[in-house]
Amino acid sequence: MRGKNNLAAFFSPSSIALVGASVSPGKISGVILESLMNSFSGALYPVNPRYGEVMGLKCYPSIEAIGSPIDLAVYALGAEAIPGAVLEAGRNVKGAIVVSGGFAETGPKGAEIEKALKEAARAAGVRVIGPNCMGIYDTVSGLDTFFIPKERVRRPESGGLSIISQSGSFAVTAMDELATDGIGVARVVSYGNKSDVDEADCLDFLADDPETKAIAIYIESIQDGRRFVEAASRCSARKPVMAVKVGKGASGISAARSHTGAIAGRYEIYKAAFRKAGIIELDGYEDFLVACKALGLTTGGAGKRIMIITDGGGMGVNIADACEEMGLSVPALPEEVSDELRSLFPEYFTIGNPLDLTGSATDESFALALSKTMSGDFYDMVIVAALWGPPALTDNLPGMLAQKPGFTEKPIIACTPGGAYSRERIRLFHEAGLPAFSTPEAAVRAAAVLSKAGVRR
Amino acid sequence: MDVRSMERIVKETLSLGRKVLVEPEAKELLRLASFPVPKSRVVKDVTAALEAAREIGFPVALKLVSPDIIHKSDAGGVFLNIMNEKEIEEKWSSVILGVADDYPTALIEGFLVEEMAPRGAEVIVGAIRDEQFGPAVMFGIGGVTVEIMKDVSFRLAPITREEAFEMMGEVKGFPILTGYRGQTIKDLGAIADALIKLGDIMGRVDGLKELEINPLIVHERGAVVADARAVLE
Repeated sequence: MRGKNNLAAFFSPSSIALVGASVSPGKISGVILESLMNSFSGALYPVNPRYGEVMGLKCYPSIEAIGSPIDLAVYALGAEAIPGAVLEAGRNVKGAIVVSGGFAETGPKGAEIEKALKEAARAAGVRVIGPNCMGIYDTVSGLDTFFIPKERVRRPESGGLSIISQSGSFAVTAMDELATDGIGVARVVSYGNKSDVDEADCLDFLADDPETKAIAIYIESIQDGRRFVEAASRCSARKPVMAVKVGKGASGISAARSHTGAIAGRYEIYKAAFRKAGIIELDGYEDFLVACKALGLTTGGAGKRIMIITDGGGMGVNIADACEEMGLSVPALPEEVSDELRSLFPEYFTIGNPLDLTGSATDESFALALSKTMSGDFYDMVIVAALWGPPALTDNLPGMLAQKPGFTEKPIIACTPGGAYSRERIRLFHEAGLPAFSTPEAAVRAAAVLSKAGVRR
Repeated sequence: MDVRSMERIVKETLSLGRKVLVEPEAKELLRLASFPVPKSRVVKDVTAALEAAREIGFPVALKLVSPDIIHKSDAGGVFLNIMNEKEIEEKWSSVILGVADDYPTALIEGFLVEEMAPRGAEVIVGAIRDEQFGPAVMFGIGGVTVEIMKDVSFRLAPITREEAFEMMGEVKGFPILTGYRGQTIKDLGAIADALIKLGDIMGRVDGLKELEINPLIVHERGAVVADARAVLE
């Protein structure tokens, strides 16, 4: 069953059956059907023997009754009914997403039902995502089985970032934040109990997926560690892969007899596995979001030499400190560059790295400083810390910076600490395609992620 | 690497109903993987100990061999730098009496009389087999830095030579090996060899769950296995 690219039914379905479709819009199946009617352009078939019509669509008593093979069946039924339904659908379906809970996560009785589901899927020759998951949100195919109303959780626009997550709530919350920040995604997969499709399968697919430019993973536990490392290694050779692992405290070998065994906590082994696989290790939810923003809006592989341009000296020094702490370097300005800047700028600007344009900063002085410091081969990345106090600064600044005067590849990270006025400016940076953060530490963490996000040779 | 003989050690121990390799067994296993191991003899009585010491040449180490006491030095079962026969007799009785008091039920298989390794930097190199991710190797500078500070680095095995050197560079105590405070520069290549080889052993020899050299004594040239233990699956 396992193999490359046999997940196509999940990511480019031309037909979808929703098993357990309901006339009451508040139910899970109602939310899913509504989403699919809005975003999915292929054939859509509600299935439920109790209704002849659901939300204006013809409703079928069974998948077989549809009369043609279906790429993807989404099951929103009680757990007990699902193994039977999967078996009954048989080979009329290529892929199944089981969003329902009530399986192994609930105890021995649920585990039995999950076992029956696995057996049914094997007998029917169908791949399964779930159970106990949110399924897929996909801006490429228009598939959205995340059963949370859009009024509560916004969906991101299309973008190059794909997210795979064991936890549905983690994925959905991150999606909401990214959508609010204007960061797009390609595919988001929540696979829950992973009775069949797991992170390695998803990575196999995403490695070859041209729509996916970077991958972020949320991990609770991995069963087949070696297979995961192989799949992630293949992936990271082509595009950046980053991961957060939760449950760090869990101990490794219980009752270990050697120091090695006693010290080897689960997390040490996961770290070693991430390193082997070329995965960028992320530390918790905040780091996950920072990394998603950074790689959702720009590309990595930049190197560690950071230029800092600011109009607030103190913030510049704070950023420089954070860089040192996170293993990045803040090299001094080369003499030729500082000589040139001195000739161009007023003498009260502090020419150095950080470069302080002071309260007299203008959009143009930021752009000029950017062009002069970043056009040579002195720095790999620049953090522009724009405090919005100087009255000459306008909302054109993000757009001017995004033109990257005199250079092309090197990432620009914006940092705009401050209250309401400054926070609203973050959106302007994002619209200009520049990742922006409201604290120096977050900006530097983003830089650290980008510095590691080069595709491995 | 004589994998078949190494597996025989594992199997024979398991057939005795034991889950640990005691020091002489673990060292024999490592010797079969061409690790440098000091000359030694396992003895059952003090006369044999004296004979072994004469043959090996003073100074020697005298160590308790018991599958029930895995941390020998904590149990008072290790004496180093024994200079003469009289001292062997003294230490022998002191170990026997101490162990009889503290571990009355421990099975004593005998004593290891061993050539003293010259002084050097002590490091710990270990390997485990993880249920999900398979073999992994660990490096640390010996003693408290490992136990209290957890100043160690891990990699999934097998590892490359480059990874072995990265592992050494990652621990904060690394300068101890490179001439800190007038010390000599230690043979990092020998440590790399040990880490690579431990990973290979875990990959090729079935039945090992944990395998640890603690300490590996590292000299300006070469390194020697001063103590070792293994846990079986």
